[in-house]
Amino acid sequence: MQKEKIKTFNEINDIFYPKSIAVVGTNNVTGSVPYDIFENILHDRFQGILYPVSPSEKNVTSVKSYKYVLDIEDDVDMAILVFPSSVAHLAMEQIGQKGIKSMIVISAGFKEVGGKGIEREKKIKEIADKYGISFIGPNCLGVINTDSKCHMNASFARAMPEEGNIAFISQSGALCTAVLDYANAKHIGFSKFVSFGNKADIDEIDLLNYLKDDPKTKVILMYLEEVTNGKALMEAAKKVTAETGKPILAIKSGRTAEGASAAASHTGSLAGSDEITNAAFEQAGIIRCENLEEMFDYAKAFAYQPLPKSKNMAIITNAGGPGVLATDKAINSGLSLGKFEEATTRILKKSLPAAANIKNPVDVIGDARADRYNVAISATIKDKNIDGVNVILTPQSMTEIEAIAEDIVKVVNRSDKPVYTSFMGETDVAKGIDILQRNNIPHYILPEDMVKAMSATTKFNERLKERSESKIKQFSDVNKEKATKILDKAIAENKTYLPEEEAVKVLKAYNFPVLPNGLANSKDEAGKIADEIKYPVVMKIISSDIVHKFDIGGVILNIQNREEAEKAYKQILKNVKKAMPKADIKGVFVQKMVEEGQEVILGLKKDNSFGSVIMFGLGGIFVEIFKDVNFKVAPISEDEVDNMIQSIRSYPILTGTRGSIKRDIKSLKETIQRLSQLAIDCPQINELDINPLIVRNEGNGCFVADTKIML
Amino acid sequence: MEKEKVEAKVKKTIAKVLEKTESEISSDSNFIFDLGADSMQSLQLIAGFEEEFDIEMDEDEALEIQSVKDAVEFIAGIVNK
Repeated sequence: MQKEKIKTFNEINDIFYPKSIAVVGTNNVTGSVPYDIFENILHDRFQGILYPVSPSEKNVTSVKSYKYVLDIEDDVDMAILVFPSSVAHLAMEQIGQKGIKSMIVISAGFKEVGGKGIEREKKIKEIADKYGISFIGPNCLGVINTDSKCHMNASFARAMPEEGNIAFISQSGALCTAVLDYANAKHIGFSKFVSFGNKADIDEIDLLNYLKDDPKTKVILMYLEEVTNGKALMEAAKKVTAETGKPILAIKSGRTAEGASAAASHTGSLAGSDEITNAAFEQAGIIRCENLEEMFDYAKAFAYQPLPKSKNMAIITNAGGPGVLATDKAINSGLSLGKFEEATTRILKKSLPAAANIKNPVDVIGDARADRYNVAISATIKDKNIDGVNVILTPQSMTEIEAIAEDIVKVVNRSDKPVYTSFMGETDVAKGIDILQRNNIPHYILPEDMVKAMSATTKFNERLKERSESKIKQFSDVNKEKATKILDKAIAENKTYLPEEEAVKVLKAYNFPVLPNGLANSKDEAGKIADEIKYPVVMKIISSDIVHKFDIGGVILNIQNREEAEKAYKQILKNVKKAMPKADIKGVFVQKMVEEGQEVILGLKKDNSFGSVIMFGLGGIFVEIFKDVNFKVAPISEDEVDNMIQSIRSYPILTGTRGSIKRDIKSLKETIQRLSQLAIDCPQINELDINPLIVRNEGNGCFVADTKIML
Repeated sequence: MEKEKVEAKVKKTIAKVLEKTESEISSDSNFIFDLGADSMQSLQLIAGFEEEFDIEMDEDEALEIQSVKDAVEFIAGIVNK
């Protein structure tokens, strides 16, 4: 599904910065949503004018109330609708007549309840479109803008968060309240906080587009339950990162592989919605987080500190064990412990006791007071070989926790390098942690989480630097018309599966390296074709009724001569007639057999949200048991194809590592690019397997040995 | 019963339950949007109509009634059967 039109910056900005608000449908019932919304806006010091609209009240709290929004004498910038869904359309009609162009629809009882709710949502959207109203919701918690220019808590959350540079947008309203509570306890502030509910009008794509240009936002956090416009989301996210360098951290719930069991191809069964989301987010530069804790671990690092310029970091600890844990995690997460310059080593040697470890990770030893930490942090952060410092503290009887925290704050304020901290424990270290958090120093209870966050920020920065306009290869030697004709004809005949002979024709039209072949309708013809294309050959049944040829004895491999070819023809027909007597048999496909090469699998699956997704992995047990495959959303750029091939675990098998033979990766890359182009040109293809593709020795190309196309 | 009579009794019941004057209630008035009824009052209105007209209203159907006009049509349909 494509998004019709992305909202402009001003359309969204008018919701975040109204000068006047009418709360339509409010009342005086303390603890009810219609009342709490009004009360929150009023008491959290909204910097504009507030109008209650209530058919039953003369005043709400102590503010004069209006029966209808049309009764308000002045112009109103934004309306917040809190009437029940059954009358939302009546209120909306008047809001439109009043000339209000921005709205938040808090009310529930729409699409999420099904039945009449769907109709009601459709109706309010129609009215909004008629009057040119942009709205958030329905079925949402509301919107918060902490900017002191507006200071609007248009939500029924318990408390207004602190001002900060993190924006949080969420499809779940209930999660929002939990996030606010969590963040408040950790002094994490927000720039904008949005619960967008059913996203009947404004969705996450509009919000990303707005937050890209919002000067108050440095980091964007997103919680999604469904991605309806995957392609548009990817485009919006790519723009955010490319144009502003703002990181997007996302939680996408629903990690189960629904639908995969019904898939007819290998690719279909491996490409669950979660794998596709992972691939799409990765390509779009969105950092996918496992849970809220991880999201905020990363968010703190991105929001409060500069990005590490390289993966070379230092660890400073007063405890050996946690230092080792942090070091292990750092190395496993792709970070390096930088080698100190001589000057740094000199300072550390002079200032620390003989028992201290002056190499990275620096151990200032258990009895260290603030002075040792100060020297170690100050020296390492100035070191040219170090681009980030991780400080670990365990509370000993002599540890000056608060003084150390205050020293860290001072050092950080003088440096352009990031410092993350892990004061381990709870009660004893609480005051130190509070100092760190209030001064925007990222803090983590576990040192492993601290270095994991540094790994995330480092990788993001590396990617930002590497990100160039990687081209998408377009082949001119393809025949789109021919492929389309074959596919359309099959669809017109109500076929859901393209027999291999036809599938091969589609691949040939896109100049895939297809092995010599022919279709035989008699044993003599089979022998003749086999003689022509030279032995060994493989023979396979061709029938639109048979998808899994191997399972019913419809394939015979390694046929070495004419006699074997004629015998194989008869045997295949016999096997198929026994297993599927009613199958419509079109003939037996005779194909050259390639003996040498590494089997890989290529595939394609169409996803309703993200479009066509390409899969690559090594064949055989690598795909069957280890599921060592990679996905990318088509079209795939040059860099993305390289990344796709190189990031499977079994990649060294293709490169000639430890006695294996170096395979023709260049040819493999070209084949994946052709598949990407076919996927974009022919959206009729629902699923496609090339399994196996035989990748021969370097310079010898690769060949499609078997293919399957589902429509 | 004539519709005018039904309407007069409906308005009387609404005025009593929602504590309004009859002049505030028109034929087009929506219980929630115009008269400010909450969910509890909507149930009280059904009970009030049943008592006033000595009828029994199906609760699900009755809760679909949103306006004075709807109520008059619905109740007239029952009493004139």
